[in-house]
Amino acid sequence: MHRITKITGYVAIILVVLSFNFFLPRLMPGDPLSFLTGAPGMDMPIVLDEETRAKLLTYYGLDKPLSQQFYDYMLGILHGDLGWSIYHNAPVSDILIGALKWTLLLVGTSTALYMVLGILLGAISAWNRGGKSDVGLLVSLLSIGSFPPFFLGMLFIILFSVKLNLFPAFGAQTPFMGYSSLLEEASDILYHLFLPATTLVISHIGGVYLLMRNSMLNVIGEDYILTARAKGMAEWYIMRKHAMKNALLPITTMIALRTGFMIGGTILVETVFAYPGVGRLLFDAVTYRDYPLLQGAFLIITLVIIAANFVADMVYVQLDPRLRHD
Amino acid sequence: MTEIKDLNRFWNAYKESRLGLIGLVILLFFVTLAVFAPYIAPYDPHEMFKPMEHPGSDHLLGTNDIGQDILSELIYGARVSLFIAFFVSVVSGIIGTAFGLLSGYFEMFGFFLMRIVDAFLAIPRLPLIIVIAAFMRPSIWNLIFIFIILGWPITTRIIRSEVLSLRTRNYVEAARMVGAPDTYILMKHILPNVFPLLVVRLIIEASHVIIAESSLSFLGLGDPTAKSWGMILHYAFVYPTIFISDLWMWWMLPAGLCITFTILSLTFIGYALEELVNPRLRGMTRI
Amino acid sequence: MTTLLEITSLRTWFPTRDGIVKAVNAVDLKIEEKEKLGLIGETGSGKSILGMSIIRLFHPSAKINIEGKIVYKGKDLLRLSEEEIRKIRGKEIAMILQNPTTSLNPVLKVGDQIAEAIQLHQRLAKRAASEKAVEMLKAVKIPAPDKMANKYPHEFSGGMKERAMIAMALACDPSLIIADEPTKGLDVTIKMQVVKLLREVTKQRSMLFITHDLGVAAEVCDNIAVMYAGELVEYAKTEDIFKNPLHPYTQGFLNSLPERGLKPIRGMSPSLINLPDGCRFHPRCDYATGICKTMHPEMAEIGNGHFVRCLLYDRS
Repeated sequence: MHRITKITGYVAIILVVLSFNFFLPRLMPGDPLSFLTGAPGMDMPIVLDEETRAKLLTYYGLDKPLSQQFYDYMLGILHGDLGWSIYHNAPVSDILIGALKWTLLLVGTSTALYMVLGILLGAISAWNRGGKSDVGLLVSLLSIGSFPPFFLGMLFIILFSVKLNLFPAFGAQTPFMGYSSLLEEASDILYHLFLPATTLVISHIGGVYLLMRNSMLNVIGEDYILTARAKGMAEWYIMRKHAMKNALLPITTMIALRTGFMIGGTILVETVFAYPGVGRLLFDAVTYRDYPLLQGAFLIITLVIIAANFVADMVYVQLDPRLRHD
Repeated sequence: MTEIKDLNRFWNAYKESRLGLIGLVILLFFVTLAVFAPYIAPYDPHEMFKPMEHPGSDHLLGTNDIGQDILSELIYGARVSLFIAFFVSVVSGIIGTAFGLLSGYFEMFGFFLMRIVDAFLAIPRLPLIIVIAAFMRPSIWNLIFIFIILGWPITTRIIRSEVLSLRTRNYVEAARMVGAPDTYILMKHILPNVFPLLVVRLIIEASHVIIAESSLSFLGLGDPTAKSWGMILHYAFVYPTIFISDLWMWWMLPAGLCITFTILSLTFIGYALEELVNPRLRGMTRI
Repeated sequence: MTTLLEITSLRTWFPTRDGIVKAVNAVDLKIEEKEKLGLIGETGSGKSILGMSIIRLFHPSAKINIEGKIVYKGKDLLRLSEEEIRKIRGKEIAMILQNPTTSLNPVLKVGDQIAEAIQLHQRLAKRAASEKAVEMLKAVKIPAPDKMANKYPHEFSGGMKERAMIAMALACDPSLIIADEPTKGLDVTIKMQVVKLLREVTKQRSMLFITHDLGVAAEVCDNIAVMYAGELVEYAKTEDIFKNPLHPYTQGFLNSLPERGLKPIRGMSPSLINLPDGCRFHPRCDYATGICKTMHPEMAEIGNGHFVRCLLYDRS
């Protein structure tokens, strides 16, 4: 029952996002093409050639009634048709699929790292509350978390790429490099991943850390922690086995919500490091006012986040035996 | 009278937190910059001098690519960033609280509103802001409008869950029993009790808005007529030689640090306040 | 009989932001082998803290000030390192904490929660420890113990949870059990079953039985110590406490029982931060005289192992 409500919720959210994507360009003054060519306050006006203009017109289907447009739009989405990118002059879906693997790599690695580190450090901090390690962790993580991700990325480029020449400043791979082995390719990719992933981890670890620390401080006062101590269990064991699981329960959904923030950060970090993911595409789409691409990127990002929330729900049910039904 | 006494007690507890004091001092510094910008800034931020001037006695932090004094831009930038943050957090706080109180108090309304809140929270905030901002004319008021629209749901959810727990307290039950009107109970018994939580929320929302505003501006979606710190970073970032010359030291670094320290101050204040409000955190770690 | 545990001038204080909580003050107490000693007092009298102080059951970084001597089998427990006292906890001295619903970990199987202590103290393999855990559940008369060992606490009833707590305490065959309000919140039938079980399983051990339920204490205990505002005010054989209570507080406590007319003691128990001068009970005492406000009475033997801390009986 619980699961059905949840899934209905996800479907509803996807429908909301799709409708939002559909109506936003149509609600703007004029038709979706007029603001493409001369929106006020734009950095650069875009000159559309006849062919592209025709493609866009057919995509938006503006000559048809609104209900027909909506139906065609939804049908197109189901077939994977997200429109035509003005800037790249290619189907949006193709461009996005090419970029998605890089974003998933970047988001996946950093999410795994910042969650594990944040949860662990938060637990350790709370367990030593008021002690030197707690105060040190709290102050340093709150401080580094205050750097906006794009600024942190820029500082890293200056320090690690320009000054120390340790890591590449942009891209996901060395351009025009023929790899002689899979290992070489993998290490080149990891080499390029290092700075953007580190930037994301550092700017997001503080949030998870603080959630875990607060939740852990609540758990420390629970009676079952005393029971475990009365049995003679070691402190480290009690923290790991008795406290952490209970502390994670109330914050799984909040941590999942953080994936949303995290994706926001990815747009900025990919932009700074010219990392060829969906976030970078979103930035390009904004710069060149490539609206179909912009909306396609937004849709993909939303889907990734909904998937993350779905995973979090599954994890939550697995963590809490009171929710498990056999 | 009691309000003054309460404030005093609150301040006495607050000032025990070293983090909270540090945060307050930093925030006051930036607020002073913002309020007295015309008296502090050496030049009008729009005035143009010789472009790409290195730091010197005329221009302490040099000039940018179109010859504006960077220090003056920074000082006026405090106005833009702080004004947006303050305005948005207060207005979305008021809307969020009103909805939170109503939805906590009236069950049916609360149920439907929470579904809307869930939808808002599931959609990634920054990408959504970027998409909306990309379709709208970039102006401060448009940004403020978007931030308010996206800011209230979290406040509503927090206030609602607090109201739900307050509603079962004896004094609220008692007031209901003797037939006090709902509005009276909400204003007299519930609002004062959610207030501390709301203050924490406002501070955290302000820091979120500053991050979101600077991110948008950094991506080039800010108001070009009112330059915020994020906009300064945007123009610095798109300048071709920013990383390979020393330009970053006076063009990029100060603006980035201004954003960082403002967020830091709000984070510290928020943490100190949360320690006061959350009884479990209270009295354990006072730093 | 030999002494198993001897507490001398024990003091447990907690510094807090509002002041120092003086939870336990100059307590002397002895538990003989196989003795069942009742520790009785109102909520907030410091009796639970006294029990916890014996095995230092506090978070290592908590600011707690314990002084005095707690000699167990010739060793002063207060001089042991954290590592050494851990080997005593659960193995030599086990504690049954109050409120089984919150004292069992909701996300771990009950059997595992019992087995982990066995694994630790008896150095058994996981499998053998789990088997022993099932045996323990059987020993506390939980039906279908092998099935119940694989269940989570929320699948247990209140009485079964209490039995599981007892099984956990017995798991490593301790010499002393500290039971903190094990019957609180249970309905009468189940309470009597738990009391019967406790009596059965502690035949060969000592027990410090902390409770405010005098009726249960009378069933279980050989001797009773009465605690008020962080100190002991009376100590005697169980029989004597009931037949001949000396301290006005003990008398008041007995009179507040339903079968003796439900007469509550007037006033409220003092905060452990601001203890009254003189006799700590004088603000609520019907017999208080001027001297009670200034002079703090000592514990004195009235005869036949009956001790009381009250100026009414001061023969000097």
